[in-house]
Amino acid sequence: MSIDEGSAHGTRSWKRWITPGAAVLGGLVYLVSGWSGGDRTFAFGGLAVMLALAVALVLLARRSETVAGLLDGKDERINHIDGEATGIAGRTLMAAVVIGFVVEIAQGQDGHPYDMLAMIAGVAYVLALVVLRIRR
Amino acid sequence: MRNTVRELRTRRGLSQGDLATAMGVSRQTINSIETGRYLPSLPLAIALSRFFGTTVEEVFDVDR
Repeated sequence: MSIDEGSAHGTRSWKRWITPGAAVLGGLVYLVSGWSGGDRTFAFGGLAVMLALAVALVLLARRSETVAGLLDGKDERINHIDGEATGIAGRTLMAAVVIGFVVEIAQGQDGHPYDMLAMIAGVAYVLALVVLRIRR
Repeated sequence: MRNTVRELRTRRGLSQGDLATAMGVSRQTINSIETGRYLPSLPLAIALSRFFGTTVEEVFDVDR
């Protein structure tokens, strides 16, 4: 059992840089991807959007306890909310994939790429279930 | 689930922010616990009880 003794809002933590860092990394991936594909608008546009997101997250974390909590992961309530929101987003995405698959089939198509996306989600769910069941 | 966090906190002249800093959570989380909208984890419930020098049973009580 451990309760963090620092402030969820004020404690310096390397964890709070993970999400903004991932946004910067994603922007660089977009840059390389767009550049390689010859779409420089996407390359620089994607990089600009992701850099703006990273800066916005860092600035918002100074004003919002919720954003700060999402970034540093130290507040258990925000972590629960984050987990539930992620679950809702995942179920929504799964519903969209299944609907897309059914519509594709109804139109006489083969269901690609929705069938593969649904398979990935299903396998990920079962693996997560097994690992979490073993750990808890 | 009822709790006496607000009474214990105000009795000591602490703000929600003070208690949040001591517990390492956000002020919003303390507010949610006090209003009964959020049920804290067992580690946080124990930490709150120890902070106020009392027991978990005296801070948190199940509605019957």
